[in-house]
Amino acid sequence: MEILTQNLVYFIVVIAIMVLLFVWAYITKRMQKDFSTTTWVLIPVAIAINLTIGQIVLVLKLPVYLDSIGTVLVGVICGPWAGALTGALSNIIAGMILDPGWFPWFPVAAAIGATAGVMANIGYFKNWWKVVVTGFVIAVVATIVGTPIAIVVYGGISASGSSIITAFLLETGRSLLASVLTTNFIAEPLDKIATSLLAFAIIDGLSARYLSRFPRGENAAVEKGQKTTQLVIALVVVVLLILFGIFVLPSITGG
Amino acid sequence: MCRRRKYLLLHFSLQVRFTMNLDRSFYVPAKSILHSLNPLTKLTLVFALISFAFFSFPWMAPVLILPVFIMGFVGKVQKQYLNVFAKLILPAIGFMFIMQSLFLPGGETLVFKFSIFDIYTETIRTAFLTVSRIFVMISSFTLLLLTTHPSELMSDLTGRGLPGQFAYVIISTLQIIPQMQAKAQTIIAAQRSRGLDTQSTFRKRVGALVPLVGPLVFGSLVEVEERAIAIEARGFTSNRTKTSLYEIPDSSFDKALRWVLVLLVIISIVSRIWLS
Repeated sequence: MEILTQNLVYFIVVIAIMVLLFVWAYITKRMQKDFSTTTWVLIPVAIAINLTIGQIVLVLKLPVYLDSIGTVLVGVICGPWAGALTGALSNIIAGMILDPGWFPWFPVAAAIGATAGVMANIGYFKNWWKVVVTGFVIAVVATIVGTPIAIVVYGGISASGSSIITAFLLETGRSLLASVLTTNFIAEPLDKIATSLLAFAIIDGLSARYLSRFPRGENAAVEKGQKTTQLVIALVVVVLLILFGIFVLPSITGG
Repeated sequence: MCRRRKYLLLHFSLQVRFTMNLDRSFYVPAKSILHSLNPLTKLTLVFALISFAFFSFPWMAPVLILPVFIMGFVGKVQKQYLNVFAKLILPAIGFMFIMQSLFLPGGETLVFKFSIFDIYTETIRTAFLTVSRIFVMISSFTLLLLTTHPSELMSDLTGRGLPGQFAYVIISTLQIIPQMQAKAQTIIAAQRSRGLDTQSTFRKRVGALVPLVGPLVFGSLVEVEERAIAIEARGFTSNRTKTSLYEIPDSSFDKALRWVLVLLVIISIVSRIWLS
């Protein structure tokens, strides 16, 4: 009972913060500015890109999902609110035509789009190494949002392949929370960094004239003078952070 | 050109539910009580069932399994529902049940030992509860989708004040996806015939990603600009209330049922908090 009320309090606080943000963005007209007609037309295409690329990846048998490239794309060139909406609707539509098991994960997809938008707003979607950092931040947010859903709705072990890692970690004596967090932290960064890099490659290929049609097109202006060393350093730092996280997370969450 | 124009028109008219062919949705046309209910009532029913399964007493979820099955028969979609159950739901929850009963921590009463796996009564009970919750959630969504056409649901919600843009996004996505999948198949076939390796080593398969994704994405992004101008010219952003071609029936029974369901949800949650 105590655990229940504690979680309920967290839940209410999180919902309240989100509602406040929403009301603030609505009243100050920040949100409406991002939803131009081009945004509304881009969203269905982005959702279709999400689902179709997911299937191409299945054909190629790669160990990633890459089912949020469109979401990241909308988040970057149309702002965080449009990105969040694309993510949420993407999961709802996947639930309508592929498998209703997609529905419960819509907050994760929404968080991915919103994070991509926020990172692009502060200028972290302009060259390769910054995109790697953005991908890592998206992965961390996806882990934080996805873990409670995995535990509350699916009891920790869901029907995806990565739950074998969770099962292994549980067998080594870690707690449920620590195991699910660690699993997500292993599985998410690779997927989200690859997603962000592909989204960046797409944006890189679009003309400046085309991008200027979108409300936040300037977020995607690619910087000149990129160096491979920076990209390598960013990748190495991210790998180190992931390894560090895998060893530190269990002790934070209490064994 | 004529074909393109027709396509744009289809995109914009949200109410074309009887003329367009959505072969990718679950919907099965039939005459039954579930089909004739108002879409919002069915949506309320789905959320009420989910709320009973997740937030009410733990015995609620297993009790709801049978009624959900019966609902499939009442809606005359039992064949399609059992098909979805066998192909999507059963493999998922079966895998979850086995994995959870083997690996979840916190068991005390040992049932039996099988090499390295210890199986406890408490773990099996938790796993069964989770699995029946998932079953109720996914099944009720499936039944909603089997008995409600997506554009019927969107028309009804738009009539109740949901911005038309949401309906546009959902309906046009459902139309774009089959087209884009066909395009993806074409691109895969074309690149393979040019010698692109999509089956051998890992490195080659990663390398194949860009030549497959690139044409697909750029091709579909180019259309966005044109379509935006076309629907803008048809008053997409107008704030006036739009009239609907199809009236979706909303009987007094529907209204009463919705209020009863909302009341039941509140009672179930309050009694759970109060009694525990």
